[in-house]
Amino acid sequence: MADKNNIIEVRNLSVEFRTDEGTVRAVKNISFNIPRGKTVGLVGESGSGKSVTSLAAMRLIPNPPGKITSGEILLDGKDLLKLTEGQMRDIRGNQISMIFQEPMTSLNPVFTVGDQIAETLMLHQKLSKTAALAKSLDLMTQVGIPNPSERIKSYPHELSGGQRQRVMIAMAIACEPDVLIADEPTTALDVTIQKQILDLLADLQKKYQMSILFITHDLGVIADIADEVVVMYRGDIVEKGTTEQIFTKPQHPYTKGLLACRPSLDSNPRRLPVVSDFMNAEGQERPLDVTVMKQQKQNRVVSDAQTTLLQIQNVKKHFPLKKGFFGGVQSWVKAVDDVTLNVRKGRTLGLVGESGCGKTTLGRTILRLIEPTAGSIIYNGTDITKLDREAMRAMRRKMQIIFQDPYASLNPRMTVGAALMEPMIIHNLGNGRNERLEMAGELMKRVGLDRAMLNRYPHEFSGGQRQRICIARALAVKPEFIICDESVSALDVSIQAQILNLLLDLQEEMHLTYVFISHDLAVVKFISDEVAVMYNGKVVEMNDAVGIYEAPQHDYTKKLLSAIPKGMPKHLS
Amino acid sequence: MSTVATQNFVPVAELKAAKGRSLWQDAFRRLRHEKVAMISLAIIIAYLVMAALCAAGLLFTNYNVTDHGAAYLPPGAGHWMGTDIFGRDVMARAAHGTITSLIVGFFGAALAVVIGTVMGAISGYFGGVIDELIVWFYTTVDTIPYILLVVAFSFVVGPGLSTLCLAIGLTSWIGHCRIVRSEFMKHRDREYVHGATALGAGHARRIFVHILPNVFHLVLINFSLGFVTAVKSEVILSYLGLGVAAGTPSWGMMISDAKLELAREVWWGLAAATFFMFFLVLAFTLFNDALRDALDPKLKSR
Repeated sequence: MADKNNIIEVRNLSVEFRTDEGTVRAVKNISFNIPRGKTVGLVGESGSGKSVTSLAAMRLIPNPPGKITSGEILLDGKDLLKLTEGQMRDIRGNQISMIFQEPMTSLNPVFTVGDQIAETLMLHQKLSKTAALAKSLDLMTQVGIPNPSERIKSYPHELSGGQRQRVMIAMAIACEPDVLIADEPTTALDVTIQKQILDLLADLQKKYQMSILFITHDLGVIADIADEVVVMYRGDIVEKGTTEQIFTKPQHPYTKGLLACRPSLDSNPRRLPVVSDFMNAEGQERPLDVTVMKQQKQNRVVSDAQTTLLQIQNVKKHFPLKKGFFGGVQSWVKAVDDVTLNVRKGRTLGLVGESGCGKTTLGRTILRLIEPTAGSIIYNGTDITKLDREAMRAMRRKMQIIFQDPYASLNPRMTVGAALMEPMIIHNLGNGRNERLEMAGELMKRVGLDRAMLNRYPHEFSGGQRQRICIARALAVKPEFIICDESVSALDVSIQAQILNLLLDLQEEMHLTYVFISHDLAVVKFISDEVAVMYNGKVVEMNDAVGIYEAPQHDYTKKLLSAIPKGMPKHLS
Repeated sequence: MSTVATQNFVPVAELKAAKGRSLWQDAFRRLRHEKVAMISLAIIIAYLVMAALCAAGLLFTNYNVTDHGAAYLPPGAGHWMGTDIFGRDVMARAAHGTITSLIVGFFGAALAVVIGTVMGAISGYFGGVIDELIVWFYTTVDTIPYILLVVAFSFVVGPGLSTLCLAIGLTSWIGHCRIVRSEFMKHRDREYVHGATALGAGHARRIFVHILPNVFHLVLINFSLGFVTAVKSEVILSYLGLGVAAGTPSWGMMISDAKLELAREVWWGLAAATFFMFFLVLAFTLFNDALRDALDPKLKSR
């Protein structure tokens, strides 16, 4: 019999997907409860089955290829899997509602946000359009959208990412649902916005006495808002318990790994622990190599005495915003506004700031993927802004970039082998195909992949593997200098730790110089020697990595620091 | 080495075959599972084989044999689809008309696709003034009715099979150019193209090695669509007397002849030409739909 205290009980749920390669068991016979008025965190890496579980609760699993093969999902004691499609429609958005990861694509671009919130109300509460719009306005105020009476007439593209996610939340809570499923609601957002959204969810939960199922790949995010945590790994629940239990006495090695792999602000390890330090490939606990774990980062000398590899002097990049009727430019967006930085040889400069602050534009300007409006970029004594096309092409051998999205940055029609050999062909490295193939194989090994995978195409790899391939491609020309543009932001925390360690190893082996761009100060602090904080196109603060954390000067830096999830529930830390 | 230790969660064993499967191979595997597509393809191949055998003089060799005594024979034992005004076998002429149609379809569509792809690629990739010039050029060409252009072209160069191919090719590339242009604009700013730039790849390499393979499925689909359009255009132009030279077997000519014959209840010329055209166009259209579904990356999960 269903327990009255649980709003949702999932019992022995199994979900399968039929693919060309055979049947994949995405969720294997899992059971867990969501207590009334509590928040349950569902944690796991991509492919662990956590999103599939939530979609099953909404009965939104696409069939075919997906199929719920067994189990029941009880909402207030009634099995959702036995309802007709019509009955289910009454429940969706009304009793259970959902918010998704990507707020841009989950909103309809051709309707105003007000209309979209009102639609849910008109559908489920049979309100008139005027009443629904009035309530929408009230909801938008509640979720903290500034100027709601104006914003109600805005279209999704006119709002920022954080505001869009607030609109999604307003839609989700419009009918005062019993359960809110939040599927990675903050993953696509900057850390500062993430914190605001988390606070908002916590407030709303208290106000409406909702239950929240919070799905995430990052245990740190839910430390403060979850009451209970369920950890999933490869379709199984490996551990569940109260948040306190999970954070203070994790039992399963996977949970321990997840807790340890997030870079934190108050420790200074040489390398990040990864899940595989705690657990072998079969999911068994392995003895920890404590000596490696305890190694501290040695703060490397960064001083003016050191060779400066790259000098960025008064660089500006302005984009024309509006063109007048006769083609005259009327206003400019100052994406990069007079930035001067020095990058020292063999060191890492971290560049941190929120989306839109100009950090990515600066990164691309350094490589002249975008031409600077003004200023000079002096690499090893040569001002590269003055180089002609041929000379710049030769220069590209020394300067490389690794992008954020490993899905978008590899040509989907090229095998990995071809992608790795291409730079060698361009710069005439290696003699003939066989030698290049040999070099490509070496590169694969170096980034921790099997050389037998050279004949495969990018879509056959996971996100983390693709990022390794991108790194290998950047290394193919034996560069001295690499820009990592949000290179780990799109990855799960567990994968992020692996890639960060890989970058550190490569720096040591090949004496590379990095500029590491990220919105996450914790990540930047871990990998960098010096950190520059960017805000509105300007560098507002610059210090060594420890200094910026211990004695932040600028208000914006302080705000960034306080937004990083502590990775521990507040009352425990 | 420490990088090897981090490898455990990149399960090498799970990736079975060492040989990868490209998106193309994926698409064609999907296509092979489509019954309608395969039947359509079989019909198209049958047409090709028939045209080849006719052209080689192995099939319907009697297409030009006149027999004034046997003019306008209705369909029957000797002539399955009857005879025309000169006593020629209608079925043989319709079968030989396939050659004309396929030649015009192939070369007309190929020419249009090549022009459209090159213009669209240049225009979309470089943007700016070049783009504006090309867009200005094709919008101007597009405002002139297409039949008028073809007529003008035929008058200048003189009618014939190659004129027909040229005329169709030179007038039907614009739609394809627009599509390729917008795809290039989209892909030009993708990270993989920026990645190639960062590696030192020049314009030609970015256009041909990187972007073109990613829009090539559109080229294929457009070629196939253009083929059908060209076949139909040939019929229309021949009907108007602007097509192939008199005496060359062509469905358009047969239909053109039929407009006077119908009054005398000679319907089989029209019927034969329509019948042959119907199955070719239907097969191509169905095949196009399946091809589009198979090549569209968005429908991949199906």
